[in-house]
Amino acid sequence: MAATTLPAGTTEAGLRPDSNETTPRGARWWRELGWRHVVTWAVLVFCFIPILYVLSSSLNPTGSLTGSNKLFSSISFQNYVELLTDPVHPYVRWFANTIVIATTTSIGTVLLGAAAAYAFSRFRFRGRRGGLLSLLLLQMFPQVLAYVAIFLLLVTLREVFPAIGLGSPLGLILVYLGGALGVNTYLMYGFFNTVPKELDEAAKIDGASHAQIFFSIILRLVAPILAVVGLLSFVGVFSDFLIASIVLVDPESQTLAVGLYQYVSQRFSEYWGVFAAGAVLAAIPVVLLFQFLQRYIVSGLTQGAVKG
Amino acid sequence: MRRSIPVVAATLGLALTLAACSGSSGETTDDASESSAANAGTLTVWVDDTRSGPVKEVATAFEEEKGVTVKLVQKDFGDIRDDFISQAPTGQGPDVIVGAHDWLGKLVQNGVVAPIELGDKAEDFLPVSTQAMSYEGTLYGLPYSVENIALVKNKDLVPDATPTTFDELVAQAKATGTQYSVLIQQDEKTGDPYHMYPLQTSFGAPVFGTDADGAYDAAQLAMDSDGGRAFAAYVAKLGAEGVLNTSLSGDVAKEAFINGQAPYMITGPWNVGDFVSAGINVGIEKVPSAGGQPSQPFVGVQGFFISAKSKNALLANEFVVNYLGTKDVQLAMYEAGGRAPALQSALDEIGDDAIVGGFAEVGKDGVPMPSIPAMDTVWADWGATEVALVNQQGDPAALWDQMTASISGKIAAS
Amino acid sequence: MTDTSTRPDRTDAPAPPPPPGSPRPTGSWWSRQDLTRGFWVKTVLVALVDALGVYGILAAGALGQWGIVAFLVVALVVVNVVYFSKRMLPAKYLVPGLIFLLVYQVFVVLYTGFTAFTNYGDGHNSTQADAVEAILVQNEVRLPDSPTYPLTVVVNGDELGFAVVDGEGDAELGTAEEPLEPVDATLENGRVASVDGWETLQFAQVLERQDEIFALRVPISDDPNDGSVRTPDGSTGYVYVSTMEWDEAAGTITNTTTGQVYTADEEQGAFVASDGSQLGTGWKVFVGFDNFTRVFTDSTLAGPFVGVLLWTFAFAILSVVLTFGLGLFMAIVLNHPKVRGRKIYRSLLIVPYAFPAFLTALVWQGMLNRDFGFVNATLLGGASIPWLTDPWLAKISVLVVNLWLGFPYMFLICTGALQSIPNEIYEAGKIDGAKPLRLFRSLTMPLLLVSTAPLLISSFAFNFNNFNVVYLLTEGGPDDLSAPVDVGATDILITFVYRLAFGGVNRQYGLACAVSILIFLIVASISAATFSKTRALEDLH
Repeated sequence: MAATTLPAGTTEAGLRPDSNETTPRGARWWRELGWRHVVTWAVLVFCFIPILYVLSSSLNPTGSLTGSNKLFSSISFQNYVELLTDPVHPYVRWFANTIVIATTTSIGTVLLGAAAAYAFSRFRFRGRRGGLLSLLLLQMFPQVLAYVAIFLLLVTLREVFPAIGLGSPLGLILVYLGGALGVNTYLMYGFFNTVPKELDEAAKIDGASHAQIFFSIILRLVAPILAVVGLLSFVGVFSDFLIASIVLVDPESQTLAVGLYQYVSQRFSEYWGVFAAGAVLAAIPVVLLFQFLQRYIVSGLTQGAVKG
Repeated sequence: MRRSIPVVAATLGLALTLAACSGSSGETTDDASESSAANAGTLTVWVDDTRSGPVKEVATAFEEEKGVTVKLVQKDFGDIRDDFISQAPTGQGPDVIVGAHDWLGKLVQNGVVAPIELGDKAEDFLPVSTQAMSYEGTLYGLPYSVENIALVKNKDLVPDATPTTFDELVAQAKATGTQYSVLIQQDEKTGDPYHMYPLQTSFGAPVFGTDADGAYDAAQLAMDSDGGRAFAAYVAKLGAEGVLNTSLSGDVAKEAFINGQAPYMITGPWNVGDFVSAGINVGIEKVPSAGGQPSQPFVGVQGFFISAKSKNALLANEFVVNYLGTKDVQLAMYEAGGRAPALQSALDEIGDDAIVGGFAEVGKDGVPMPSIPAMDTVWADWGATEVALVNQQGDPAALWDQMTASISGKIAAS
Repeated sequence: MTDTSTRPDRTDAPAPPPPPGSPRPTGSWWSRQDLTRGFWVKTVLVALVDALGVYGILAAGALGQWGIVAFLVVALVVVNVVYFSKRMLPAKYLVPGLIFLLVYQVFVVLYTGFTAFTNYGDGHNSTQADAVEAILVQNEVRLPDSPTYPLTVVVNGDELGFAVVDGEGDAELGTAEEPLEPVDATLENGRVASVDGWETLQFAQVLERQDEIFALRVPISDDPNDGSVRTPDGSTGYVYVSTMEWDEAAGTITNTTTGQVYTADEEQGAFVASDGSQLGTGWKVFVGFDNFTRVFTDSTLAGPFVGVLLWTFAFAILSVVLTFGLGLFMAIVLNHPKVRGRKIYRSLLIVPYAFPAFLTALVWQGMLNRDFGFVNATLLGGASIPWLTDPWLAKISVLVVNLWLGFPYMFLICTGALQSIPNEIYEAGKIDGAKPLRLFRSLTMPLLLVSTAPLLISSFAFNFNNFNVVYLLTEGGPDDLSAPVDVGATDILITFVYRLAFGGVNRQYGLACAVSILIFLIVASISAATFSKTRALEDLH
C-alpha cells in the first residue's frame, strides 16, 4: 500500500487518523474499517462458544454442562431463583463481599504500585535496577505451600491484631496487597517512563513538592495504566480461590470464587445449572467495570495532557 | 528532629487508647475465630455446603440441650482433608470434621484423627459403614451416610425384568433399539474405574486383597490375577461392541439417559434426582454379573471425625457419638441432604423410598473403597489402562499386566 | 529513558491544574512546607501507623511473639526515619508496598524454602510429641467383649474418680491411683447418682475439666495388664488396653504384645525397629539437601525429563507468543476511532477473563470430546478427532485453550499500552514515506515492547509453571503407559513434578518444595537474562 493512501496505511499500524476526516464508505470502508468488524466477530465467536455452554446450562434446570450440543433446548430461570434463595449458599452476600474486597484491593494495589513505579521511574537510587528485577522475580516464586504459610501467618497475626487475622476480610485484603508490587509495578513503570520528565521539572520550578507532582500530575497522566492495573487486580481477586478459601471460613463472609466452587467440587453434575448461573452473574461486574474504565484506558493520555 | 514531636504525642495517645480498648491483650474476641483453643464449651465443626444445613439444625438443638456453642465452618468438601491435615498440628484446627471414609489412611498416618468408641451402638449401623470407618481394626469415624452406584433402569423403555448376566443385559438393551445400551460413564483420559468396579469385581478381581482382619492389604494387589485379566478382556470386548466408549463422559451419558436414548445407566443417586424431574420412570437394580461372581460396587461412607488435637475431646465425643449417632438426627440429616443414612433403624424408616431403598439394597453387597494410602497410587494407571482397553490399544492381558506391574512398583517404592 | 524529542509538543504543556483542595502555593514554597496540609496529613498517618505499631509491640510482647515484636520495631523505625527525613525520596514511595511484600510474600518464600529442607509430607506432619501422642492413642484399643459401663464422674477434693455400674448392677468407684472397688452408692436410671464423700459432676462441670477427665485412666484391677476404664464422653466408660508403651527417657516405643521395640530415629523422623520396619506416623525433621539430591539421582525422573523440559519451554514460549499476538492484534484492530461499537467489542473480548478458569477448562474438555464434543460433532460435521487423547493434538488443544484463557489479559494490556504511543511519531514516519507494516515493525512494536517486555517475561514464567491449565484440561495426559512414572504428553515440568511428589503413596511436600525451588531458579535465571536484554532495548529510546 502506498504511503499516499494515508488512512488505510496508518490504521494498519494501529494509528488513530485525524478526527476531522469523514467516515469512509464503500470499498474504502471495507479496507479501512469493515475487516476490523469481520476479524472482531471471528474472535468473538471463538470467545463465546464456550460461554454459550455455560449460559445454556444456567437456563436448563436438569441439563449437564456439555452433554448436549443442543444449546438452549430448555429455558427456565429456576437455577437463578435457586441460586439467589439458597440459605446455605448466600450468593448475594458473596457477591457483595467480593465487590468490597476486590474494590478495596484494587484501589490499594493501584496506589501502592503507582507509588513504587513513580520511585523507580523518577528517582535514581542505588539498587534501583536490582530492586525492579527482584520484584519481578519474586512473583515467579512457586507458591506450593502458600496455603500453609498464609494460614500459619494469619493464625499468629490473629493473636496480635485480631482485625487482620484469620477469618477477617481485611486480613485477606492485606494478603492480596502483599502482591501489589511486582508485575503491576513494572507495567506502570514502563508507562510512567513515557510521561516526559519536563512536566515534573516545570512543576518543580513552580514550587510543587514531589508528592504534589505525583498525586496531581503523574497520576492523572497515567490514568490508562492505573485503570488497567486496577482491573487486573480486581479480576485477580474475583477469581482467587486458594487464598480466600484459607482466610475466609464463615459462609457469610466468603467470596464468589470460594462459594461457587463448593457447588461443583463434589457431585458436580447435580449442581451444574446453579453453578453456571452463579458464574454468569459473577462475570457481569467484571465486564461492567471494564466498560466503565474503558474511557480512562483508551483516552486518558490523549485527552489529558497531550492536546494543548 | 523537632518536627516529629507531634507524632510522638499522637502516637502515645493513640497507642494508649488502643491498648485500653483491647483490654488484656491475650484475649481475642474475634467472632470469626475458628480456634478450638479459645474456650471449653465451644465446638468447631467443619462441614461442607451440603452438610451445613442439616448439621446446623442438629447443632442448634445440641447447643440448647447442653448449653454449649457449636461453631460451624463451611468449607469446600475437597479442601477439608488437606486443610485439616495441615492445620490440626498447629492446635488451631477444628474439633470435628465431616469427611469421607477413604480419607482415613491419610488422617491416621498423619496422626490427626482420634479413635471413637460406639460401644453397643456399633451394631445399629450398617456393617459396611462401620467397616469403612475403621482403619487397622480401630473405628475412627461416626458414619452417617452411605453411597454407592447401581444399575438405573428406564422402566418405560424396558418393562421386562432385568436379566442376571451382563451379556444378557446388553442384549436386552440393544433390543430396545435405542442409541445406547448400557451407559457407563467414562473419561477420555482417565477412564472411570469407579463406575467399572461392579463389573471388575464380578470377575473376582478386587483392587486389594484383605488380611486376616478383613482390612485391605497393600501388599496384595488382587487385580494381578486371572480374574483381572479376564476382566480386561471383557472390557476390550465391550469396547469393541461399542457398549463402552471413552468419549461417553458423565455429562453426555446423563443427557443421553434423560433423553431416553438408553434403557440402562450405571450411576449413583446424585443423578437420579434430575432423572426423576425429567419425568423418567426409574428403577434401581443390582448390576448383573459379567464374570460369574457377584458384582460389588464401591461403597463410599461419609461421617464425622474427631481431631486428635481437639481441646474439647469430651464434648466432641458427646456431640458426635451420642448425638449425631441417634436415629432422629440421622433422619433429619437425610431429610435435609438426601443421602441414605448409615443407621439401620433410620434406613428402615425411609425404606419405602424406592430410590434410596434401592441404592441401599445394592450397597449391601458393596465393598468400602479402600482407604489405605496405597490406593492413591492406583487410580492413574488403572484408569489410563481401562481407556486403552476400551480403545483396543493392545493385547488386554498384556496391558493389564503392565498396569499391575507399574502399580506394584510404585507401592513397593514407598 | 524516554527521549522527549519524539514529542516536542509536550515540553510546552501547560502547567497542570492545582490538585483539588490543595492550597495554591504562594511565595517561597519550600519555606512554607511545614505548614502545608500535606505535612499534617503525613503526620497523622505516620502517627496512626506508629500507634498501631506500638500497640502491636505491646500485644505481641505479652504473647511472647518475639518475631513480630522485632519486625514491628524495625518497621516503625524505618517508617519514621523515611517519612521525616528530607532525603530518601524513593523510599517514601517504596516503603508501604515493601512492607506488605515483606509480610505476605517473603514469608511464603521463606516458608517454602524452609520446608524444602525437611521431610514434611504424609506421615511427617508435625512434631515428635504429636507423633507419640497419635501412636499411643491409635493403639489404645478397647478390650474385646468387655462391658460398657454407665459412668459418672465424681470428685473428692481435687481427686477425680469414675463411679460406674458394673454388669451385675453394682456400683464401683476408682481413681487414677485406686482400681475400681465396690462402693455404696445411690443409683438412678441405671447409673450412679451420688456416692458418699464424693461430689457428682454435672455435664457443665465435666466440660470445664474435660482435659483431665479425658486423660483419666482408672485401672480395673491391680494388674495394669487387665486394662483401665476411660470415658470418651463423660457418661460411658469402656475398658481399654494399650498395646504401645512410650519410654520418654530412652526414646523408644514398645509394642507390648509382640515385644518389638521402635526407636526414635531423628534422621528419618520415624520410629524404626531393628528389623527396619517403621511405625506409620512419624514427624517432621530436617533432611538437609536430601530432597535436592533426590531430584538429580532419581532414575525414574531422568527418563522422561528431557521430553518434559522441551515441551515446557515450547508451551511457555508459544503461549506467550500466541496470547500476546492475538491480544495485540485485537488491540490494534479496535484502536481505530471510527470502528462503530468498539467499546462494546472491547468489553465482550474481556468476557473469557471474567469466568473462572476451572469452569472454562471443563467446558473446553466437553467441547473437545472425541465423539460428542461441539468441535467434532458440530463444527467438523461428525469428525472423530482425538483432540485430548492424541499426544500431539492434546498439546495443540492445551495451547488453544490457554490462548482462549490468556489473550484477554494481553488485549487489555496492549490496549492500555497503545495509548502511550503518541500519534506524532507516526506523522513523522508517514512523511518519511514508511509503509504501514514497516511503521508497525519499527515504531509501534519497539515502543510497545519497552513497556510490555517485562510483562512478557513474567508471562513466560507464569506459563512455565502454568499448572492449572494443563491439570484442568488434560491432567498431563494422555499418559505414557509404558513409563515407570506417571507422565503424559502434555505434562509440563511443574505438573510432572507434582504428580511425582503427590501421586505416590505419600505426598511429599518437602520434595515438591525443593523441586519447585529448582524450577524457580531455572525460570528466574532465564528471566533475568532476558531482562538485561530488554534493558538494552529500553536504552535505544
